[in-house]
Amino acid sequence: MLKVDHASVFFAARDGRPVHALDRVSFEIPESGFVVALGASGCGKSTLLNAIAGFLPLSDGAIILDGRPVRGPGADRGVVFQKDALLPWETVIDNVALGLKFAGVSKSERRARAHELLRLVGLGEFAKALPYELSGGMRQRVGIARALATEPDILLMDEPFGALDSLTREQMQELLISIWDRTAKRIFFITHSIEEALFLGTQVLVMSPRPGRVVARFDLDFVRRFAATGDARSIKSSPEFASLREEIRAILHSAEDLRSAA
Amino acid sequence: MSDLVQTTPVSSAVQRPRPKLVKMVSFGLGEKPTVAISVATGLAVAALWWLVAELDLVPNLFLPRPGEVLTQVGMLYYDGYAGASLSEHIFASLFRIVLAASIAIAAGIPLGLLMGLNRWAKGILDTPIEFYWPLPPLSYLPLMIIWLGIGETSKITLLVLAMFAPVCLSAQAGVRSLPIERVNAARSLGARPLELFIDIVLPSALPEILTGVRIAVGIGWGTLVAAELIASTRGIGFMIMSAAQFLATDVVFVGIGIIAICAFAFSAAIRFIEAVLVPWKGKL
Ligand SMILES: Nc1ncnc2c1ncn2[C@@H]1O[C@H](COP(=O)(O)OP(=O)(O)O)[C@@H](O)[C@H]1O
Ligand SMILES: [Mg+2]
Repeated sequence: MLKVDHASVFFAARDGRPVHALDRVSFEIPESGFVVALGASGCGKSTLLNAIAGFLPLSDGAIILDGRPVRGPGADRGVVFQKDALLPWETVIDNVALGLKFAGVSKSERRARAHELLRLVGLGEFAKALPYELSGGMRQRVGIARALATEPDILLMDEPFGALDSLTREQMQELLISIWDRTAKRIFFITHSIEEALFLGTQVLVMSPRPGRVVARFDLDFVRRFAATGDARSIKSSPEFASLREEIRAILHSAEDLRSAA
Repeated sequence: MSDLVQTTPVSSAVQRPRPKLVKMVSFGLGEKPTVAISVATGLAVAALWWLVAELDLVPNLFLPRPGEVLTQVGMLYYDGYAGASLSEHIFASLFRIVLAASIAIAAGIPLGLLMGLNRWAKGILDTPIEFYWPLPPLSYLPLMIIWLGIGETSKITLLVLAMFAPVCLSAQAGVRSLPIERVNAARSLGARPLELFIDIVLPSALPEILTGVRIAVGIGWGTLVAAELIASTRGIGFMIMSAAQFLATDVVFVGIGIIAICAFAFSAAIRFIEAVLVPWKGKL
């Protein structure tokens, strides 16, 4: 279980006044939970993810992973970045195997496991390519395979599909769901797309900016339905999906109005 | 209409032309070849030289004929110059610059990376480096000679100092340009500090380091020849200086030509290393 407990972050801004980026955010990610943080840009989503990943200390509150407080980055939390952070000098397969190399796995074994993961994300033929030879969507898939390679307890994904076209994006969503369904990993996922949040999350946290807060939560089962049926169209066009979409849109807009009024 | 629909796939299947290979349009020069233009320019300059010398537009003392210079190459090769063979002169110069470059690179890369990463290393090493780096190397050559004598040590120390700074500064710049996502990604994949240094920081800084090495080797040749002019009995720089005193302009030309060829070979080698080690430069 990952537990985020009243997490607050104040950044030291350049003019000396603190920037309140995250205000007492609390939630939990249970076993095989898929939690999606949804909000406009600037509402503290990346701040929250960076804190969970251990890249950023909290000003107040705690983040507890399986009973132990998070103190820094570690291979128990795999991170997929918004802008892919692949090593440009390594081939695709060696990028995927990077975490295994740090874990001391022998070269032949880590190549074999990396190859398996590349096939899982549909890039088996591109093992020997260099990252700059791939498209954005393919690079993002390499990033996912790399994060999965060390078999982390939890995947942290910061708007991983934000830069993709809508068709590729839907394919990637379905790929991610099938990985989640097969491996039963916990996932913390960030997006600014309402549809994406509804489709993927078992729980959606709706966030508002300045300071970044969770203003609403929804427990959903569209993702389980998709994992069972594989029929995205009927889920996304269902009246239930549409009414939730409108409800969340209203929440996001009222948060925006509050901010501009203040 | 139906003709069109049917003929198009048939003709393309029967006679498939070789596809036109394309690349991303790059800004500025990009990868457009310039070799032919450069070779043509070189030939034009040589032709102009030949013409000016043949027509005696300039006294022979100032500008020897191309043929004379070539003859002089042969004579220097067989007879040597000032008690040493031509290859000994060349070897003396190459030995100094290669040894000095190796020391400067071996020290400059780790110290530069360390200065980019560690506050104490930066604070301490910045003082001497920022003090001596802007000085022209020749201004402290006399000091090197007083301290280390007239032999090889003073010249090599001078060269090491001249070449160390650009390597060290470029390694620091390489660390500064390291994207934080890359570091964070490696740390969340379980990289320990030493692995972070070797697998992430060093290769990330490599493009900038290689640029620094190129600059260093350029500075190295300039400093080497100047140092040999002042304090040496071997080396291409010495040969040029000594020949100039006897007004042997053709020997001076040969010496300059040899330095040009060596310096060109060095920079070609570095460019080759760049192409092998960082094919991804500027692409991601
Ligand atoms: N390093 C930083 N220093 C100061 N302020 C920051 C820093 N990073 C983020 N912020 C501020 O914190 C707030 C939340 O940022 P972020 O978490 O990146 O939002 P999101 O990912 O939701 O777009 C923003 O107002 C941003 O300006
Ligand atoms: Mg963000």
